Amino acid sequence: MPAIEIKSLGKTYKGNNRPAIADLSLSIDEGEIFGLLGPNGAGKTTLIHILCCIQTFDFGEVSILGLHLPRRIMDIKPLIGVAPQDIALYPTLTAMENLRVIGGIFGMKRKAVEERATELLDRFGLAANKNRRIDTYSGGMKRRVNLIAALMHRPRIIFLDEPTVGIDVQSKIMILDSLKDINRDGCTIIYTSHYMEEAENLCTRVGIIDEGHILQSGHPCDLVRSSGCASLENLYLQLTGKTLRDDT
Amino acid sequence: MIRKLFSLIYKDILLLLRDKAGLSMMFIMPMLLVVLMTKLQDSTFNSINETQIPLALLNLDTDSLGNAIERQLSSSGIFSITRSASTSDDASEKLKASVARGDRMVGIIIPAKATENIRNNIRRYVSTAFNGTVASPVTPDTVHIEIYIDPVVKTSFRSTLMSALREQAARTESEFLSQAIVAEVNRYFPISISGINISPSLVSFSEQYALPTKDAVIPNSTQHNIPAWSLFAVFFISISLSGNIIKEREDGSYLRLLTMPCPEVLYMLSKATVYMLVCLLQYAVIFLMGVFLLPSLGLPAFALQGALPLSLVMAVSSASAAISYGIAIGKLAGTHQQAAIFASISTVIMAALGGIWIPVFVMPPLMKYAAALSPLNWGIEGFYDIFIRGGNLLSILPECAASFIFSALCIIAAPLLHRRKKHRTR
Repeated sequence: MPAIEIKSLGKTYKGNNRPAIADLSLSIDEGEIFGLLGPNGAGKTTLIHILCCIQTFDFGEVSILGLHLPRRIMDIKPLIGVAPQDIALYPTLTAMENLRVIGGIFGMKRKAVEERATELLDRFGLAANKNRRIDTYSGGMKRRVNLIAALMHRPRIIFLDEPTVGIDVQSKIMILDSLKDINRDGCTIIYTSHYMEEAENLCTRVGIIDEGHILQSGHPCDLVRSSGCASLENLYLQLTGKTLRDDT
Repeated sequence: MIRKLFSLIYKDILLLLRDKAGLSMMFIMPMLLVVLMTKLQDSTFNSINETQIPLALLNLDTDSLGNAIERQLSSSGIFSITRSASTSDDASEKLKASVARGDRMVGIIIPAKATENIRNNIRRYVSTAFNGTVASPVTPDTVHIEIYIDPVVKTSFRSTLMSALREQAARTESEFLSQAIVAEVNRYFPISISGINISPSLVSFSEQYALPTKDAVIPNSTQHNIPAWSLFAVFFISISLSGNIIKEREDGSYLRLLTMPCPEVLYMLSKATVYMLVCLLQYAVIFLMGVFLLPSLGLPAFALQGALPLSLVMAVSSASAAISYGIAIGKLAGTHQQAAIFASISTVIMAALGGIWIPVFVMPPLMKYAAALSPLNWGIEGFYDIFIRGGNLLSILPECAASFIFSALCIIAAPLLHRRKKHRTR
């Protein structure tokens, strides 16, 4: 059973003539690390938001782990974890308090929340700072807690929207290594990024998206080889062009 | 579901406790307002002993009428009287000037021989009547009391003063009339009669507040200000609550909640529960302050007089209106600034309309209709029913119902309007 199955998906924002997602079809298998690559305004965030149950769509079919959106939305939500691009935490609460709230909303028991939070904070090198308020954390620390929050309830799929943007190299390496570990445990990862090299190293498959369509998808090495380009970045530029996308 | 709700409540309590400035504003500001406004309004509600009106009196008569007027003015307790001893011509000019300057708000000049002139007039009329002849066309000795009033003095007060002076003049005249009649009768009858005492106490007036029970409390500044400013404080919570909702939206944490199995109704229920506790705490703190602190400041103590259960019903209904209002603003406002400005200004307007500062009964008719639309008016009227009119559950039912209906409308309309707004901007 595919983790995600999308058929002829369409979404146009009110007041826009151009669709954000236009007749997009995609299938992602369980256990994959799927990289969604594309320039600004290509439709990455809209697609992720639809899959995270934040955004509605106009037409098409979306099923997550065999459950159809939007009908089974409340059954889907416990199966997915989301680390949005912007830090989505309560800045005046400590890391531990944030994780307690998130675990509780996922229906986890208090003891399970404490154990899971301690385990993840330890794994991401934040155990010593677990009782510090989020607004006193560095950018890298915040990104790590943002990711931990998505992992608290052991989701089967996690969505990561640019999880390594604006952080130091050490934090980036830790996050990417941890993602590989999490994937080894059986978790499917859907990930967006502007860093081609990072995607090439991390993903088992990438999809290049522009103007609401998936232009190409496949294993990064296979895509590079079949296109005759020197790198994934060259292929990306060949497909999406060099025009600046400042208007979106 | 309960675990989810508890987690949300835990989060909302922590968010509130971490906002120390906001929290202190919720309690310290209304407490200061209560003390300040109660102190300011105390003299108005109390007997007006403390707000004496400066009055200049030039009594050139120094006989029955002049002395009676002087006595009445002194005993009223309303005036702080400055008596002019001078009988010189410029004494009256000085008195007029002092009123014109605003040094005195009222100036009264009782002319010389005022009593004698009244006595002469009455004697002449009675004598004419008893002789059986038509009185010769006599020009009466007029008595003209001059009253100067500062233009800032209210018309109602001016009317009261004039009535009091007229009453005193009439009383003096009737006394003289009775004396003159007795004197004439004694001239014609062999057996003399004693003086007729026309006592003003034959018709007495009993003034009291229309209170339903013997235990009901006479209105005072504390009984008004404690519930009034508690309500104001409770409605000011809409600033903090709407700000809290918008902050969650802006810092992205609300977005995360949307990705979690957390129904919107639980999110709102959590906020409502936490802020309801805050509102009830506000009521408790301010009410206790009225009971224990205000008497030590020389103000009347707040009399709860066994109305705690009713107060709780009224507190819950008014707090629910305030909380729903805050949630609606939080859902509909685009930014924190928008919400803060709208919530504070609208609360002040609703308070002004609702009779928190100025009683509704002194408002013009149109404003009275508008007052009936203010949730703060429903609250204050409900508390008046409890604390001043000694009402029961039935008497506060209309106000409670209005508050709960308002609450329900806000809660239902806000998400619908929010969704419509989101659709428009997408």
